[in-house]
Amino acid sequence: MTTIKEKAKDLIKVDRRDSKLALAHIYVAFIALFIGGLCGLLQVLVRSGKFTLPWGIGYYQILTIHGVLLGLILTTYFILGFQIAAMSRTSGTFTNKQRLIGWIGFWVMTAGTVAASIMVLLNEASVLYTFYAPLQAHWIFYVGMALVVVGSWITGIAQIMKYVEWRKVNPGQPSPLLSFMVIVNMAMWLICSLGVAVEVVFQLIPWSLGWVDKVDVLLSRTLFWYFGHPLVYFWLLPAYMVWYVIIPKIIGGKIFSDALARLSFMLFLLFSIPVGFHHQLTEPGIDSFWKFLQVILTMMVVIPSLLTAFSMFASFELRGRQLGGKGLYGWFKKLPWKDARFTVPFIGMAAFIPAGAGGIINASYQMNQLIHNTIWVTGHFHLTLATTVVLTFFGAAYWLIPHLTGRVLTKQMNKLAIIQAIIWSVGMTIMSGAMHIVGLMGAPRRSDFSTYGGAQQATEWIPYQVAQAVGGTILFVGIILVLYIVANLLWFAPKGETEFPIGEVSEHAEKTPMWLENWKIWLTICIALILFAYTVPIIDIIQNAPPGSKGYKLW
Amino acid sequence: MSKKSEKDSDLKGTLYSVGFVGLFILISWFMAFYLFVDRF
Repeated sequence: MTTIKEKAKDLIKVDRRDSKLALAHIYVAFIALFIGGLCGLLQVLVRSGKFTLPWGIGYYQILTIHGVLLGLILTTYFILGFQIAAMSRTSGTFTNKQRLIGWIGFWVMTAGTVAASIMVLLNEASVLYTFYAPLQAHWIFYVGMALVVVGSWITGIAQIMKYVEWRKVNPGQPSPLLSFMVIVNMAMWLICSLGVAVEVVFQLIPWSLGWVDKVDVLLSRTLFWYFGHPLVYFWLLPAYMVWYVIIPKIIGGKIFSDALARLSFMLFLLFSIPVGFHHQLTEPGIDSFWKFLQVILTMMVVIPSLLTAFSMFASFELRGRQLGGKGLYGWFKKLPWKDARFTVPFIGMAAFIPAGAGGIINASYQMNQLIHNTIWVTGHFHLTLATTVVLTFFGAAYWLIPHLTGRVLTKQMNKLAIIQAIIWSVGMTIMSGAMHIVGLMGAPRRSDFSTYGGAQQATEWIPYQVAQAVGGTILFVGIILVLYIVANLLWFAPKGETEFPIGEVSEHAEKTPMWLENWKIWLTICIALILFAYTVPIIDIIQNAPPGSKGYKLW
Repeated sequence: MSKKSEKDSDLKGTLYSVGFVGLFILISWFMAFYLFVDRF
């Protein structure tokens, strides 16, 4: 009797006006992918030692473009576009006012992106994507980046307003799981980006304008990493939304447990923020006790990560067995491997196993010395962000874009999407693998090609740099393929209805307790943890500040 | 009728898979730890 009802539910479409707003974000995301990806290709070619950039373009300039466009712009735009569509699909169409706020956010972000990009292209801001002081960019770059953050807040407010409206209309009920997850991610983003906003507005902008001569480098890095680590989770949580809510529906199964999914998201909210010191483990001037404390909090993230791994495997196994899979792993073969919407994100999930293992090594306090500032770290986040997250986003784009444009993913495109993911995996295995190995041999990250005066050790790195160029070139082919598929889905694919898949919770799952959605409890714990982890060390950093530094433009 | 068999859901594969992930993490960590002890 529920089949008709369920069918109707599956066909719920995101309102056309909301689709436009979501699509606007997705356009910018894929333009960023093209330009940023091209710069990535140039980087690996330069580092192979066999290629020199023409027309006086600097290595650090393309590094900055690559990092800013892919790490900040591609991710933030795709995430906000996806979240707008997700809210509209699960909590209802945005009101005109909410949508207008969404558009204002989009244009503020885009104005900031254009301003920052122009400064990088003019070679006035080759400060790498972490914009670490004392490297000093033109003030317009910092204002641009601040606008990107402020714009994302404005768009986030529109999403939060939609959620609040839903809760008011449906008192005493848990919100739709996907909407809940979007709001957890936005809450985390709002709390963490305050750190970088304070850094940019109160330290970097006055300093780059010449209003003050010197900057407190230690404080600026601390504020940056207060933001920088949750930034990683801001990328990752939308991928988890796809894994928890969308993938079970695509494979024809059920969400293993709504409560487990919510608990895991709330644990990410708690343990993603008060952990920034694990990026500063070799930084002098921070007391070792506080570093150790934040290392412990970092390790807590293992809990929701393994909860997620368990939940994913359980969803897959239950479905595979339902389809007749026998024995220990017979269910694995029964999964819909020919469906790009499943296979592409699945490869992303698999990549998260070595990525997570690497992350634990990075955060293991003294062991951080093994890999700190080596290209191992670059290899690490090319597994987390550039494989796990990005392949999940690609897999999501293959149903999200046609849903929003009123088109369908053809069989041909579906096949091409799987080939794309395989090419991506091959390229990334070579590139990221070489980065990990040569990182352990001491090769530095963030650095132009150099023979270091013919030093023996540096000579040993070169074959691995050539391998990175090979892997990077294969990855660029992957970028061209995904752009071809996206262009097809935007403008050329046949018209038709594409489902926005939303999984249903297994009938065997326990009822979701309402305390999981009690924001007073979770936000209080979250803020208490942040205050606990940061108050004393920040007072200490300010009271015993190192001498300030003037700005450097070393490019 | 099939409800009963569904209820006794077999999650052995999940148990082994999660175990494998845990083991992989531990082995990687100890390999890095060995390098660390060797160098520092």
